[in-house]
Amino acid sequence: MKAVETEVRNKAKELLEKGEVDLFIGYGKATIPLKSRPIFIAKDSAEEGPDDLVWDSFCSNNLAAYLQKYFENQPNRRKKRETPYPKIGMMAKGCDMRSVVALVKENQVIRENMVILGLPCTGMIDRRKVLEALEGQEVTEYRETEKGLEVTTRDGKSHSFDREEYLQPACKECRFPVPEGTDFMMPGDGRKPGDGGYARIKEFEQKSSDEKWEYFKTEMSKCIRCNACRQACPTCWCKECFADHTDLKWIGVGTDLSDTMIFQIIRIFHQAGRCVECDACYNACPMGIDLRTYTKKIVKDTQELFDFIPDFNTESTPPLSTFSEQDTDGFITDPEEH
Amino acid sequence: MKQALLDKKDIGKLLKSAAVDSPVYAPVMGNSEIEFTRIADGSEAVSLEYSNLKLSPKGIFFPQTETLLTFDFDAVEDVPEPESGIVVFGSRPCDALSLLYLDKVFGPENKGYDDPYYMKRREDSVMISLACSEPCRTCFCTSVGGGPADRKGSDILMFDLDEGIFFRAETGKGEAFLEKYSSLFGEPGADTEKKADEQGNEAALSMETLPVDKEALKKHLDDGFEDPVWEKLTQNCIGCGACTYLCPTCYCFDISDEQRMYKGKRIRTWDACQFPQFTKHASGHNPRNTKLERLRQRFMHKFSYLPENMGEIYCVGCGRCVTNCPVNIDIREVIETFAKK
Repeated sequence: MKAVETEVRNKAKELLEKGEVDLFIGYGKATIPLKSRPIFIAKDSAEEGPDDLVWDSFCSNNLAAYLQKYFENQPNRRKKRETPYPKIGMMAKGCDMRSVVALVKENQVIRENMVILGLPCTGMIDRRKVLEALEGQEVTEYRETEKGLEVTTRDGKSHSFDREEYLQPACKECRFPVPEGTDFMMPGDGRKPGDGGYARIKEFEQKSSDEKWEYFKTEMSKCIRCNACRQACPTCWCKECFADHTDLKWIGVGTDLSDTMIFQIIRIFHQAGRCVECDACYNACPMGIDLRTYTKKIVKDTQELFDFIPDFNTESTPPLSTFSEQDTDGFITDPEEH
Repeated sequence: MKQALLDKKDIGKLLKSAAVDSPVYAPVMGNSEIEFTRIADGSEAVSLEYSNLKLSPKGIFFPQTETLLTFDFDAVEDVPEPESGIVVFGSRPCDALSLLYLDKVFGPENKGYDDPYYMKRREDSVMISLACSEPCRTCFCTSVGGGPADRKGSDILMFDLDEGIFFRAETGKGEAFLEKYSSLFGEPGADTEKKADEQGNEAALSMETLPVDKEALKKHLDDGFEDPVWEKLTQNCIGCGACTYLCPTCYCFDISDEQRMYKGKRIRTWDACQFPQFTKHASGHNPRNTKLERLRQRFMHKFSYLPENMGEIYCVGCGRCVTNCPVNIDIREVIETFAKK
């Protein structure tokens, strides 16, 4: 990955120097172990430069979540603009790129103003899983190796983790690890595409309604309404979320179970045909709520009922943006069957 | 009784006895992690195996959602009476200190605006804190007026030692508690307290210190309100409220009515300065319309406005915001940046 990292730095430097981008969004070193964080590099920024860019197995944030604000029309940035929209450079894994495509289709991002460096993704390591396995022992040093991860903990012991075993579940299941339609492709091989992870959902579907309801209740009772899931999600871009309406209040603001449940039900349903299974919501949740079972169920349903996957295809129309007489409506007419 | 020793296996017994007399909250393994749980009969899976709990005991005294009253059209139907005499077992010293800060906000010190709900819960409460033997690398309590075995805010300090759990009363309330359940405790050895103090000192020495000078930091922040460095410090913020909700000293709240026809309840819920709605006016104008302004507010409130109004930095160095931020915004970086200015 080091070679790719150098390539990314050089390309970002070139883009910034030539003025082809005003801002470059990538990953940089974090202040805590087993994490890389989003960084923003402008041509003349004194603090951070292209050499601070990092490409390792902890670049799991979906960077597309930052894009929309650069292209929105605000009172101080009117439609008839005096200054043009900025040019944005960005590092993109398969999932980031799929989100960009989804946002472009929804007119939230101007593709022509984007310069995207595609990264063949080998999967991101699951930070939480590693920390869990260390049973509270804190990490003092870590190093990626051919096979996975070498970690030294505070008691001086070293631990090795097999990469494949400790990958984020989203990455294991990922069907699109290598982005397509980018402007520049970084060298290297991506992961072999996964199977989408539908088997787990099929298993979940077999449970009785009561069991499913109990599980949903248990998970949602952990919610503290911090909105990290919504904020981390690239396709949760509504200017005003239904949950934030105060004039016409759709849901309560507290942690009553009915409110936390309806919040996720509406949020996740709204992701139909837009969710790229990146697990940004799941990774952002400080309470570790299993959101990914529900997002994946929506992805699976959208594929099965509407034959649609939000992939790299810029021409296809997302099901929430269109209507066809052939659309399935069995869930209305025969709810028992669905 | 000033000091006592308890065999670890007797924790359940102690909590069971205490739970008969008072509402007791202790760290119990929940669905996925250890959390403060109301003890029913001491059979719960109480665990002291944590560095710090994700949710501080703030919510025991200042619940995330609480009913202030119920109403029917224009008449108040009921005003719930909060519990008092709460015993919190196993909070960390930083969390105990944070409650002293919340007392300043919700108590009479704050220009006489007593909060009856919070103060009722704090009435006769007993904080039994567990001193840290191994502070996390994200902790910085010693830099902001606390410490791994700091006694401020605790009625009893517990030390997890080889010979058992050493209890040391720090207040009269703490002494009374140890007295009340004295039959369950044993005598500490002659050098037990020394061992406990050593453990505390060692823990404090193992921690990194930040350059926090209350006055200077406030001045630098006030002077640097428009400093372009805020752009860098805030640009990766995604605008969630995880930092504020997990923070033991963040106390902002919202009051709203939930009703069906004419009957309903007035609830108080946590609110966060990170949400645009927090400052949105009825006119639609929002004085803190950008992420930068909102995140800057969080730090200014803690390190400038509250030191001015309440005399304290409202950060106890627990590190929760550092470890749980989805994009690694680190309060220590903000402190360091402005300490150097």
